[in-house]
Amino acid sequence: MPHVPGIARAVVVVAVAGLAGVQTATAQQKPPDRATVLRTAADALGMVRWSDIGAGTTRLPGIDVVNTMEFWANGTVDVGGKAVKTEYHAAIGYNPTAMRVELTAGGKRQGPFQTVRDTFAWDESELGAGLAPGQGTATPAMGAVRERLLHLWTLPYGVVKAALAAGDKTTVAVEGGATVITFPLTGALAGVTVKATLDSNSLITRVETRADEAGLTTVTEYSNYADRAEVLTDIKSPGRIVRKQGTRTLMDIEVKMWETNNLYLVFPVPPNVKAAAVANSR
Amino acid sequence: MRRAASHRTVWGLAAIALLTSTLAAQQGGPPRRTTNAPPAPSGQTPRTADGRPDLTGVWNALGDNLNGIPNQMANNGVVIDSATSARDLHSGLRIPVFPRNTTRPHNNEQAERAASLLRRIGANRPIYKPEYWQMVKDFDHNSNVEDPSNNCMPAGIPRGGIPSYIGQQKDHLIFIYPGQGGLIATQTMYRMIPLDGRAHTPMQDLDGTYTGEGIGHWEGDTLVVDTWGFTPNTWFDQIGGYFHGENMHTIERFTRNGNTLTWTVTVHDPDYLFEPWTATPRVAVLNPNPKAMLPESLPCSERDLDHLVTKEHH
Repeated sequence: MPHVPGIARAVVVVAVAGLAGVQTATAQQKPPDRATVLRTAADALGMVRWSDIGAGTTRLPGIDVVNTMEFWANGTVDVGGKAVKTEYHAAIGYNPTAMRVELTAGGKRQGPFQTVRDTFAWDESELGAGLAPGQGTATPAMGAVRERLLHLWTLPYGVVKAALAAGDKTTVAVEGGATVITFPLTGALAGVTVKATLDSNSLITRVETRADEAGLTTVTEYSNYADRAEVLTDIKSPGRIVRKQGTRTLMDIEVKMWETNNLYLVFPVPPNVKAAAVANSR
Repeated sequence: MRRAASHRTVWGLAAIALLTSTLAAQQGGPPRRTTNAPPAPSGQTPRTADGRPDLTGVWNALGDNLNGIPNQMANNGVVIDSATSARDLHSGLRIPVFPRNTTRPHNNEQAERAASLLRRIGANRPIYKPEYWQMVKDFDHNSNVEDPSNNCMPAGIPRGGIPSYIGQQKDHLIFIYPGQGGLIATQTMYRMIPLDGRAHTPMQDLDGTYTGEGIGHWEGDTLVVDTWGFTPNTWFDQIGGYFHGENMHTIERFTRNGNTLTWTVTVHDPDYLFEPWTATPRVAVLNPNPKAMLPESLPCSERDLDHLVTKEHH
């Protein structure tokens, strides 16, 4: 290091310290960069991936790898205003947008499978009911489309995907020391605004939704993230989900397993459900 | 994937390196690709004396369809067009793209876990009858032991995809599918496809085989290969646990455009599938070296299955 006279060195130190102070203050005031925040949130969940196995000289960028997932949990779910102890099983897809929920207790199913895909919602008396004659009943539940889709899009992966899709309409800010992402949902969920809070590891810990429709105004808290899959993928999933609507707890579950390996989950829409949707639109 | 699979992985990587260097040597340097979108055709489509497109050639200029992740993603219907754009060819969904945030190569575990996700990301999935949904999922979940190709057996048709070599004669074609001693351990397959207008042998009179009884005909400039008479001991796509029965019937379509060959297949299996399934079209590129040869496949020797300790898989 070159020799610097004492006074000059003190001036340099003060100047550097002052500059650092200015930079720190600027950093505190400057809103976080949207692209960086969303990338970091996606990375924290393990959503952005690439692989060069067998790629030769091809080098591809990373992409969002989350499509289908399935998880199993224990806890309580609100059924008709009552908190019911249940085993909760959900199958999820983002391409196409779909979700199928099954509640069981002691191995017995509590009600039908509650399914949604795109703009169709229906209840299945058995898995895949209504696709073929004589194989169960598919009951259209078009009134539940928005509520079921909201559940899908407020899962951590749905939040990142929807925030990315919202583009310039997504804003990021720091509130109470935490990074917050706010964006509007679109399509069937137009009119719903999502506000997601990230922890210091950029994992989504709280998701608030606001809408004119009371049923779509919710708060969901996620905690205890880990890779809970048997086929490990390095995708993190929450270990506890608490979902509320005002003071009413809609769901409080502990996740036992969360398979993330884009497993075989399909959600074909039964013909009578499609027909009902057409009839509803007239 | 798994540490215990190191033998096969090492041999697989060695095979890929060998193939890559062989191609590079033949072409005077490897092409640099930053996309896995179907390549645009160039050049004229050669024709035979009877006016048919001539499919003859070594169709491996993009590397092997079963091994490479970029090709497998494209086979699965997910195409990265550029550094900022990706889409699912089947559903049309735009998929978010991100630059790599490190130049450090992945270790085996990171690469395998990512590859496993990337291979399965597409929306174009066969719809089985609901009573088989769980079975398909379980097969895929446990594919280390359940995948028929993981034990040095032939991949079968249509899992073999586009043959790496096609030899075309007036009344028949020869297809060669090199086996892989590496990441997906399979045997070399060949098919002889008659073009003489013969009818199929009744299915019940055929002993099921890995490649079935394939019979070709031309529909305009498209070669159609109609195949039945399969053993049920294969899966019909590269991943996914997509099992089938002995009544599977496949219709493959091959269309040459300049130096590209587009292939797709429709799988009919009324015993198990709710509806016929059509694979996302795949595009192979002709090896530009007219003297190109297929290198010998490494022998397949499965030594890892007994040592697996997790369900992680390709």
